[in-house]
Amino acid sequence: MDNLFGLSMDVIMAVLLAAFLAAIAAVGWFALRNRVMVRLGLRNIPRRRGQTALIIIGVMLSTVIIAAALGTGDTLSVSIRNEAIRSLNTIDEVVVPSRASAGDSFGSVPYVHVDRFYELQDKVAGLDTIDGLTPSIAETAPALNNRNSVSEGRLNIVGVDSSLLDGFTPLTSVTGGTVRLQALSDDEAFINDRAADSLDASPGDELTLFIGRETASFKVAEVVERNGLAGRDPTLLISLERAQRLFDRPDQINLISVSNRGGETDGVALSGEVSQELRAALSDPEAAAGLWELLRRQNVLDALAEAESDLTGSLRDNAVELREELQGPEVSDSLIRLLNRQSVEDHVMDVLGSEGLEDVEQEASALFSDLLPYRVIQIKRNILEAADEAGNIVTTIFLNMGLFTVMVGVLLIFLIFVMLAAARRSEMGMARAVGAKRSHLVQMFVFEGTAYALVSAAVGVLLGLVVSALMVGILNRIFAGFDESELFRLTPQFALRTMVVAYCLGMLITMATVAVSAIQVSRLNIVTAVRGLPNPPTEAQTGWRSVLMAPVRALVLPFRHAARAARSVIRVRPLAALGYLARAVWAVVMLPVVFWLTLARVTWRLLMQGWLIVLLGALLAWAGAAVWDRAAPFSLGVSLVIIGVALMLRIVLERTSMRPDLRDRIVFTFAGVVVLIFWLLPADVIESVVGELVGDFDVLFVSGICMVTAAVWTVMYNADLLLKALTWLTSPIGKLRPVLVTAVAYPMSAKLRTGLTLAMFALVFFTLMFISVLTETFSTQFTDPEVVTGGWHVEGTISASTPIEDVRTRIVELGLQPDDFAAVGGYTFSNVQARDTGGDSRDWQSLSVRGADDEFLEASEYDLHLIAEGYGANENEVLQALRDDPTLAVLGGNLVRTVPDVQDGFRPDLVESVYYGDDIMQPFTMELRQRLSDETTDVTIIGVLAREHEASFSMLASKALLDDLFPFEIPVTRYRFSVAEGVEAQQASYSLEGAFLEHGMETTVLADEIEQETAGTRAIFRLFVGFVALGLVVGIAALGVVSTRAVVERRQQIGVLRAIGYRRGMIQLSLMLESSFISLLGIAIGGTLGVILSYQAFTEIRDDAAVANLRFVVPWIQIGAILALAYGFSLLATWLPARQAARTYPAEALRYE
Amino acid sequence: MEDLIINAQDIHKTYTTGSLTVNALRGVDLTIRRGEIVAIMGPSGCGKTTLLNCLSGLDEIDSGRVLIDGVELHNLPDDERSDYRARRMGFVFQLYNLLPVLSAVENVEMPLLLSGVSSAQARSRAMEVLDSVNLTDRAAHLPGELSGGQRQRVTIARALVNRPAIVWADEPTGDLDSETAGEIIDLMCGLNRDNGQSFVVVTHSPEVGQRANRIVMMRDGLIADSGGGAAQVGDGSPEQATSD
Repeated sequence: MDNLFGLSMDVIMAVLLAAFLAAIAAVGWFALRNRVMVRLGLRNIPRRRGQTALIIIGVMLSTVIIAAALGTGDTLSVSIRNEAIRSLNTIDEVVVPSRASAGDSFGSVPYVHVDRFYELQDKVAGLDTIDGLTPSIAETAPALNNRNSVSEGRLNIVGVDSSLLDGFTPLTSVTGGTVRLQALSDDEAFINDRAADSLDASPGDELTLFIGRETASFKVAEVVERNGLAGRDPTLLISLERAQRLFDRPDQINLISVSNRGGETDGVALSGEVSQELRAALSDPEAAAGLWELLRRQNVLDALAEAESDLTGSLRDNAVELREELQGPEVSDSLIRLLNRQSVEDHVMDVLGSEGLEDVEQEASALFSDLLPYRVIQIKRNILEAADEAGNIVTTIFLNMGLFTVMVGVLLIFLIFVMLAAARRSEMGMARAVGAKRSHLVQMFVFEGTAYALVSAAVGVLLGLVVSALMVGILNRIFAGFDESELFRLTPQFALRTMVVAYCLGMLITMATVAVSAIQVSRLNIVTAVRGLPNPPTEAQTGWRSVLMAPVRALVLPFRHAARAARSVIRVRPLAALGYLARAVWAVVMLPVVFWLTLARVTWRLLMQGWLIVLLGALLAWAGAAVWDRAAPFSLGVSLVIIGVALMLRIVLERTSMRPDLRDRIVFTFAGVVVLIFWLLPADVIESVVGELVGDFDVLFVSGICMVTAAVWTVMYNADLLLKALTWLTSPIGKLRPVLVTAVAYPMSAKLRTGLTLAMFALVFFTLMFISVLTETFSTQFTDPEVVTGGWHVEGTISASTPIEDVRTRIVELGLQPDDFAAVGGYTFSNVQARDTGGDSRDWQSLSVRGADDEFLEASEYDLHLIAEGYGANENEVLQALRDDPTLAVLGGNLVRTVPDVQDGFRPDLVESVYYGDDIMQPFTMELRQRLSDETTDVTIIGVLAREHEASFSMLASKALLDDLFPFEIPVTRYRFSVAEGVEAQQASYSLEGAFLEHGMETTVLADEIEQETAGTRAIFRLFVGFVALGLVVGIAALGVVSTRAVVERRQQIGVLRAIGYRRGMIQLSLMLESSFISLLGIAIGGTLGVILSYQAFTEIRDDAAVANLRFVVPWIQIGAILALAYGFSLLATWLPARQAARTYPAEALRYE
Repeated sequence: MEDLIINAQDIHKTYTTGSLTVNALRGVDLTIRRGEIVAIMGPSGCGKTTLLNCLSGLDEIDSGRVLIDGVELHNLPDDERSDYRARRMGFVFQLYNLLPVLSAVENVEMPLLLSGVSSAQARSRAMEVLDSVNLTDRAAHLPGELSGGQRQRVTIARALVNRPAIVWADEPTGDLDSETAGEIIDLMCGLNRDNGQSFVVVTHSPEVGQRANRIVMMRDGLIADSGGGAAQVGDGSPEQATSD
């Protein structure tokens, strides 16, 4: 994976590595200057090994998530790359004719005379970037192994010119050694190992190929290794000349393979350059001359010159060069190269369109399409780029999913250091009393934290890779369901760069959190810390003057040190001078740090006054709604406004005689409840005020943080009410009451740590619940195969070279029972280009058209989401209209956007005249174009298919539409069968495949296929849930740390409890209940909020995307299992320290200090 | 003999800390009568607190026999011993040892709740006892919001709330100024007089000793003077052994 979030991974690594090294260098510098604090910081690590282990587990979680996400992306990317390189071997580009004639046929690539190849060969002969160029024929045909009657519906037949194989990897027998095509006789062929597998064939077997109405037989001479010229899929190899005769294409070819200089992997670097050369060499000189003539007209040149000022970068350079070349005396190679660039063509067409030069535009359009009658496909580079993109997408998804866990990990690190500080408060107070500065305490914690981070980030990377490998294993199982051949296997791959990035990122997150925590905990009152008393409620703040003077002092400091250095030089004390000089340099280096710290302190103080938060929040909300149209910044802004108002209220209340605890309760309950109410408002209410806003993963993240924080505030500041309710509830249960009293009172007295732990559990469960519910809910739309398929049961795909004239007659001829099939319909898919004639965009978009025969249109039970006015009252009438008029069509629901503002749907830029969310529809025209002959036709769209149908990803029309569009006859290549009542679809599928063997029919039971796809989708969803559930480990580790600390901190109190009559079991129960109280409350908060938010998301998706069959489902069993597991482990994490506490003798506990 | 509430015979207790073995009690015999205030005094490290812990069942003994009101405490299973403490004993410690997260009244009612008394009754009785130590107005305060003397009075209230037969006090005035210490001693003596409870008080304070019915002097894990002929000195010699 080379890119992430649009940035090069190399750049990301370099930046992170530099930041990491700088941070380590800074820590190292302080460590050298203050070794006592290093010793004080590090000596704590080996003291309590169990606690150290827990801390390392807690600290490493962020790194685990990052490493796992990056590792999975790497694996996907590298696996696809490797597969592409392996299967293409040394082939880097392929050239195929893009113009078809009546002599060509559907389902195969158009043919050209082999002389075109020789011309190309001559033109590129001088190029050292190409080391191989070979012509070939590539076709498909059904095949049968005569020995065992095993068939293959789509066997690739490749004819290769054996005299032109320089630069390509030679064919190799599976038994070893190279084989030569020249050695084959007319009735012999090689097959690759995949063909040998699918036909169960071996050397000597005779294969029958079905080509049109003819058959041909070949004896298998050798089984060769697949890949390269031997193909990845089942392939039969013969000489080019034999293939020309076989397909009745004398002196013709339909494919040119190109090998760049270099091997399998490095040749691809030249792909761009080679493609340029190939395009230039293959261009039609007449079309180029026509364009030269057309575009060098003065008005066009003026328009082009004027438009240049709006361009930037390489396009501007190209535009300038184009204009200069157009003014040249003749058509140059440079001009042809420029005209072949898609960006240049688009620019020229834009200029002509915008300047109103319509005649020129029309002519130029035709000439541009004639310019290159071939497609030069950078096949290897495209796949490698797709591989990188796939890795990027996967990493981004998992990083987004893991964002909460990383956040929770950060909270845990903060919690750990707050607790460590609480445990060492007295020690820290003593250190301060004997002269240690606050900065020394910060350093002490940073040293300790860095030591933890160094180890835990390393362990985290390793564990992340293990998690990634596990996920890859699961993905392999999922992919195996889609691809029975299991050719594509993911192999765990971890680039060193990934490990470095994960390690540095994990380290930096940890170190930053440790630094913030250390600054926070170093603010202690020396007297109360030494005496073990609680901190005074409000620490005296440093004065504004002192804060603002800090950067001034920092500015002066280098000069003071420099002056001292100069004085030392005068006094001939060179070592002292050097020392002062070093300090001066350090002071300069620290200047920005001091500046930023001051800025942060000033900002923080202003923020705490509330009004600045209100201002920033309002600004963010406004920008979110009015500028970006995004829900996340808008909602975050509103939440900040509410919090700011609460803080302002606090300042007002501080001026009254109100008790601080009551004041805080009012303020934070207000903030919590109002923020919660805001987030729980239905989207309609907010959209009625600010209009439609777009949301993504960012909404989930922001909503999680805001809602959980609000809920935790509300709970924490009203916990006494909860305690009273619990006490009242448990009062009838005799001895449980005192246990419950302490179990709830302790966590409620330590609001920060309880709140943090609660927030961790709540956040993780919030995400878990949200993702679980939504994934399960989404699965419901695929559940009814009858609806999805439009009532069809079996699909049979045949080879285009062996079409069926009349399928009903053929069924009888082949001995099948016609009554077994209630309906039989046929259709053909074809990719065309399309644009909405009523839309603003003039760009052509790729579109798949399903051209169906009459019976298919008659028998399909499709629901139409929209019907254009005047084209019928129901589905039957619309489908009848399609049969009657081949210029009519309906669009799949997934091809249109839901609403104008949201870029959803499978082809969001295709249509502007209708939206899925519309209530009524007017008919509109679309223009279709197919590139083989540049034929265009208009089609009237009269309806939109409901999105739940698998047909809703394409346009549905009569097959006659395709017949009109293409220069040759379009055969039906897919048949759908609806089986009669009492007939098993599976049995019918077997019968059809066997009977239609010579047509190469391959059948699938549609319900099984849908079930398999749904199962795969669900499995991927569950993988997401599992990945998110990793965050629970953080929550459990947090409870372990909290419980361990509780036992240590409360040892004396445990002694007292035992002295006044607590039994051992009661001590243990109290601690377990305490942890249960936190974990269950966290689970309840997160779970409830997650369900509510997912319900909101569900209603919005259902209403906006109008997916009628979407049902809201909460996967209780799955959630219950996760909950039970999480709760069980959290109890286990508490059980160990609780057991230890319970076993201590009261006298021993009382002695503890 | 029937008015003896504590009868301890030949109590031995050894602690091992790392390589150090300390013979804290080396054969202590001690009897205390019902309603008696006994002060246990002696130099630091002589075994006073250990003796109190062993007699009250807070710590195990290595050998010997302790009868509390006729019950051999150390033969009871741990849970029964806990229940016995909840019903029959009260504790006062030098550092108050209140639960910091519970209010004064919640601290006081805790032993009653442990004894199975209903919530309402426990709260009523706790307020009654707090009233007897003049802390009604501080009932809802957390220990951190009380002065040292107030905290110790809460501790005494907690020790007395279940009307125990014995109150064990370990340096109850050790952390208080002399005036407050005097108030606490007055309070304990008054409660002893009114309720007839036995008080076993470990103390360094001569003032406390003077107010006790009897002073038991300890030295090197042995009773040097039982203060009334009821105590007997064991026959072992002072010993502190160091093991490997």
